[in-house]
Amino acid sequence: MRTDKTATADEVVAELADGMTIGIGGWGSRRKPMALVRAILRSPVRDLTVVSYGGPDVGLLVAAGKVRRVVFGFVTLDTIPYDPWFGRARQEGSIEVTEYDEGMFAAALSAAAQRLPFLPTRAGLGSDVLRVNPRLRTVRSPYADGEELVAVPAQRLDVAFVHLNRADPHGNAQYLGPDPYFDDLFCLAATRRFVSVEKVVDTATLTEEGPVQSLLLNRSTVDAVVESPHGAHFTTAVPDYGRDERFQRHYAECAKDPGRWPEFADRFLAGDEKAYQHEVTRFTEESR
Amino acid sequence: MRNANEVGNVAEIVSLAEGVGRLVHDGDMVALEGFTHLIPHAAGQEIIRQRRRDLTLVRMTPDIVYDQLIGAGCARKLIFSWGGNPGVGSLHRFRDAVQNGHPVPLEIEEHSHAGMANRYVAGASGLPFAVLRGYSGTDLPRHTDTIKQITCPFTGEQLAAVPALNPDVSIIHAQRADRAGNVQIWGLVGVQKEAVLAARRSLVTVEEVVDELEPVPGQLVLPSWAVTCVAEVPHGAHPSYAQGYYERDNAYYEKWDSIGRKRDSFEDWLREKVFTMEGAK
Repeated sequence: MRTDKTATADEVVAELADGMTIGIGGWGSRRKPMALVRAILRSPVRDLTVVSYGGPDVGLLVAAGKVRRVVFGFVTLDTIPYDPWFGRARQEGSIEVTEYDEGMFAAALSAAAQRLPFLPTRAGLGSDVLRVNPRLRTVRSPYADGEELVAVPAQRLDVAFVHLNRADPHGNAQYLGPDPYFDDLFCLAATRRFVSVEKVVDTATLTEEGPVQSLLLNRSTVDAVVESPHGAHFTTAVPDYGRDERFQRHYAECAKDPGRWPEFADRFLAGDEKAYQHEVTRFTEESR
Repeated sequence: MRNANEVGNVAEIVSLAEGVGRLVHDGDMVALEGFTHLIPHAAGQEIIRQRRRDLTLVRMTPDIVYDQLIGAGCARKLIFSWGGNPGVGSLHRFRDAVQNGHPVPLEIEEHSHAGMANRYVAGASGLPFAVLRGYSGTDLPRHTDTIKQITCPFTGEQLAAVPALNPDVSIIHAQRADRAGNVQIWGLVGVQKEAVLAARRSLVTVEEVVDELEPVPGQLVLPSWAVTCVAEVPHGAHPSYAQGYYERDNAYYEKWDSIGRKRDSFEDWLREKVFTMEGAK
């Protein structure tokens, strides 16, 4: 058994194959595994089905032509309502979509985590979610109430990518911010589970910064740990850092304008993670 | 479905006698939960003392707490998973009720632990039923007609369905509550949260009511608005244990075998340990 699970972003992304279904943790433009997403952008992989409470992770993957389908509860940049790349791809019909209510999305991951083929839920009843998802079915209660509920099919993931604040080399991982989001559920639903963190620390020091219950992932649900300082940039990784709002605005402005996008991609996405972080530092200094 | 509290209402702090008197009525479906840890024994004995009848008792692992209620004739039906005196043997009052109808006949509905936990989750979620991989290859579906099959509408696979549990009242024991009625519980937390959220009314007995709930690793907090009544009952889980307060009284569990084995010895116990305490707070 491998107990030191540390790896590089390029090593874990090399495990992807065309057509895979990948889950991306975080929530909107918060605690997204952006360094791992950037590694996917650099890789040759394509035709991905991306399962995400989406933010700029979805936008960047769509921009790079990596995506065949997006399964989502929403895609937003939080302080900017819509991700321009995702919006344009939907309007043009260049990607397939499975649009769920947020609760249904969680039910789909829960079903996969429990190795059930589906779970019943009340979410979605009486809404257009059923109309826009013709693949959804309903299921009738086998009891006297005879009630009809939405049946959400299990959303199994080939790979889950999540970003947390700390982990030990064995894959016990910790969030130090206010919200775990659904990162644990993404890992439970996936065959391979890759976590990037701000800092890899000794097991014994994990509880120095946060209480026991901040240990969101245990080593049995993690296959590799990637140390990636500022790896969530430009999304939040509080308390290590907040969202880089100026950079996000720049991303959104360039994403909105196909004429400006090559300039953004050339400057920030053409090199490796080190080159990205270097350009971000320069971008920040330019505003001073 | 639920009417535990109107919006904005908070838990009331009452005596154990008042809590049971107000919340537990003859004929109710009552769940006393606590999985090996924090079993609400004092509340169970208060139900006996107040001579409730025709209860449908619900519990994962009915152990001594339900042997006492069943032996005292409080129950008409038991919905459960695994019944016994843990580490000791049979529950003789439970056995006498099922086999001989003494002191009153007891109907039983037997499930698996996973089935019962899923039933509480469904009840707490406002769903009519839960789906699980379970019961297959066992005789339980032959004896328990509430276990149904459900077909996955995507794969055609046959899975088990169990109906939601929504007790009239759920009773649990916790370590602490604050004066506003927020409840704090830690250690093995079993299905206590689900049992309270699934119930129409709830009573939480606690080791102590404090000014402020100091955070504890692994804690679970039930907000005041999710609880109907809180009663301070130190040692209320005895002979089970309360992490941070006292250990399990293993000798009591062993001794219960001889107390519960015979009708006479049980009646003596009831008189000496339950009814002579009548009116006690």
